[in-house]
Amino acid sequence: MDTYPLTRRERIAQYLARNRRAVEAWLILTPILIYYFVFAVFPVLANLSVSFLDWNGFNEPAWAGLANYERFFTNPRYQQVLLMTVFFAVAILIVNTVLGFFIALALNEQVKGLGIYRTLWYVPTLTSAAVMAQIATVFIAPRVGVTSVVLASLGLESPIWQTNIDFARLIIVVFSVWRSVGTAMLLFLAGLQSIPLDVIDAARVDGAAGWRMLRHITLPLLRPMTVFVLVTGLIAAFQVFEPVYLITNGKSGTNVMMLKIYDDAFQNGRFGMAAAMATVMLVVLLWASFLNLRLMGQTSAEQQ
Amino acid sequence: MLRRRLGRTLLYIFLISTSLMMAYPLLFAFAAGLTGTEDYYQSTWFPAPTEIHLDKWAAFLGRDDLRLWVANTIFRAGWYVVIPAVISVLCGYVFTVPRFKGRDAVFMLMLASMMVPGIVYVLPTFIMLARWPLVGGNDIYGQGGHGFINTWGALLIPGLINAFYIFLMRQSYQSIPRDYEEAARVDGANTLQIIWNVYVPLLRPALTVLVIFQFVAVWNDYLNPLVFAGGNEAIAPVALGAQRFIFSTSQNTRAGLIDYPTMFAVATLVTLPIVILFLLLQRYFVQGVAGFGLKG
Repeated sequence: MDTYPLTRRERIAQYLARNRRAVEAWLILTPILIYYFVFAVFPVLANLSVSFLDWNGFNEPAWAGLANYERFFTNPRYQQVLLMTVFFAVAILIVNTVLGFFIALALNEQVKGLGIYRTLWYVPTLTSAAVMAQIATVFIAPRVGVTSVVLASLGLESPIWQTNIDFARLIIVVFSVWRSVGTAMLLFLAGLQSIPLDVIDAARVDGAAGWRMLRHITLPLLRPMTVFVLVTGLIAAFQVFEPVYLITNGKSGTNVMMLKIYDDAFQNGRFGMAAAMATVMLVVLLWASFLNLRLMGQTSAEQQ
Repeated sequence: MLRRRLGRTLLYIFLISTSLMMAYPLLFAFAAGLTGTEDYYQSTWFPAPTEIHLDKWAAFLGRDDLRLWVANTIFRAGWYVVIPAVISVLCGYVFTVPRFKGRDAVFMLMLASMMVPGIVYVLPTFIMLARWPLVGGNDIYGQGGHGFINTWGALLIPGLINAFYIFLMRQSYQSIPRDYEEAARVDGANTLQIIWNVYVPLLRPALTVLVIFQFVAVWNDYLNPLVFAGGNEAIAPVALGAQRFIFSTSQNTRAGLIDYPTMFAVATLVTLPIVILFLLLQRYFVQGVAGFGLKG
């Protein structure tokens, strides 16, 4: 008998030989996927489960249902935190986008020394938020801080953030903008530089200039980038942590969800509340990401 | 013509004044770190040293704990450069070149994590690290000890997969012709040899972006070391160590005058390496950020 049924081992060998590339791919992927499930997928599910618990990390976890969420949306102190998170996110986002856009527009005018201006605007985004926030407390210190000295030289009384809520909030916004506007600037600049010169020239021949050029040529062509700057900027602005933690520590009407999550989880032993807030942030920012994908899809469909 | 020149002049005035405002905090910190304490208290809107004091810099650079923070950070940065680079180079290959069932589904699954904000991971990861069975005095059920918390494990285990870099590598692989790989196959090279010898040299721009952005991220990482290892000074990274040092200096009034120049010297010295890195590799930073936007 020359032909005989293949043994199990031979069948496996044959399969492996035929699908060698796929087998290799899965050999590479399997350990990576195991790690991915343990450290990227499972924590999200675990966070969701903890958000339904009354748990301080030490006691026996008790089922709390939606009580943590209810508390977050009805308790005045948590409502205030939600309100301030949205306020800071929107304020930082608007200033970053508008300022970043105009700087990029100015830099796109074939200025001499582009690299120097770009460096000055971008380098703050590379600094350590923690170290610079700790330094910011020196700038705003009463009497000896720079803000006080400058205001005093103008004959104005220097505000004290501990008692002046508006000043405290302004500091957080200014600091965050200083540390993140460079990214918006760089993105808009990349977008502007990718506009084909012949489009600009053609519009110029048709008599477009200044405001009309901006309104009818530049802005429409920049729309995908603008959507991207807005959505990624929103995601980042929602997650401002270091300045609030280190400059005001959430006092004087500046508390935000990032800090409240940190406090509830690691200072107050309210794991359930912290997890519920993290879930709320997840939902909001997922919504923003999907909006991004949809709007990006729309603009590229329009352009085709 | 005149109008045009006026426009240019206004443009430069606008750019120079706003750019100086952006640079002001860093220039201030740089100058204040070189100012004597007496001079600093005399200064108003900008520190004007009557003579350059390098002693604050020298004192900080001579500290043992600074060397420790820098060594810790460079060690951790090396780890968070090498492992994500290996993972994303391998995944980029797997998601581009071989065809197999489920490939695109797995890719989409991994991309999905890009949309999850980092804060969602902090508490569950903390609990996982603290309750890891059989480490740090924990029993088989993860009870009784501190697990990985306040150990190197907590600073090296989480967050090694970054979907953005997998995405970036996949983009790069797609721009490389398959001919090179086929030629190497004919010569008898296996898949790992092909990735290393054929693709990695061509992926250098993307890898450079990964290296610099990971390095900056680890150099500045504050929340993770604070939460996962804040209780162990021996493994503190630069951002946490420097922030704590600046804070304790600001609270120290025993000498009569708070030593502000030292605080600024510290801030300058921990910022300087990143600024130098940027000046050397500016092109890649711009490409990296633009890549986030144009491809994202």
